[in-house]
Amino acid sequence: MQFEYFQMIDRILDLNMDEKTITVEAQVPQHNTVFEGHFPGYPIMPGVLLIETMAQCSGWLLVGLMKFERMPFLAAVKEAKMRGFVPPGELLTVHASIHHEGSGYAITEAKITVGGKTRCNATLMLSHIPFPNPDLRGHMDAVAKRIGFPQQALLP
Amino acid sequence: MSTTFDQVATIIAETCDIPRDTITPDSHAIDDLGIDSLDFLDIAFAIDKAFGIKLPLEKWTQEVNDGKATTEQYFVLKNLCARIDELVAAKGAGAQP
Repeated sequence: MQFEYFQMIDRILDLNMDEKTITVEAQVPQHNTVFEGHFPGYPIMPGVLLIETMAQCSGWLLVGLMKFERMPFLAAVKEAKMRGFVPPGELLTVHASIHHEGSGYAITEAKITVGGKTRCNATLMLSHIPFPNPDLRGHMDAVAKRIGFPQQALLP
Repeated sequence: MSTTFDQVATIIAETCDIPRDTITPDSHAIDDLGIDSLDFLDIAFAIDKAFGIKLPLEKWTQEVNDGKATTEQYFVLKNLCARIDELVAAKGAGAQP
């Protein structure tokens, strides 16, 4: 995870195009200025960053399902529950699945677990549009390579 | 048995917190009820679930943007409900052997 660049996902562990599910990993940094303010003497990862992490996980699932032809954007947080604190240095496992595929949007169910125990979960709505420009598409290609997006998942 | 309009009006009322009695078949979802694009996604989600269909919002939006259709054709509620009925009928026909 690199909070400064909003890069919340470190690697894709599994992308199941048939089941429409994804599992990724995210290593919470041991040190970051965010933890100096949230909170002094009791550092925990802010809930909004956990939601962003679940949204990015959901987004990569959609990018894969849409064969890198469209870009998803977080549109609504239908429900989110922060069930346990996430301190610095934890290794997060993030899961997402498709709840509903609409026209130009999707609803996902996502959760973050540590050691098999759920720390938070959310129902998210993401809208998606064709990539607005080549720069963003190129950036997503580069990130996909960095996080190990399984290219074979795109094969027919 | 409630009509398509009754179901859609209830969905809109509950999703957008609009008084049910102000929603009529001639209401324009955008111009009269003030529903924005994000709220309409919520409505589409609820309609998709309630009727077991997939509202082709992107196709409709494209047709409006291209000047091939007017917003009234899709977003005046009686017209929207007619489209929903068509989609439900098409789904039923497709499900038959």
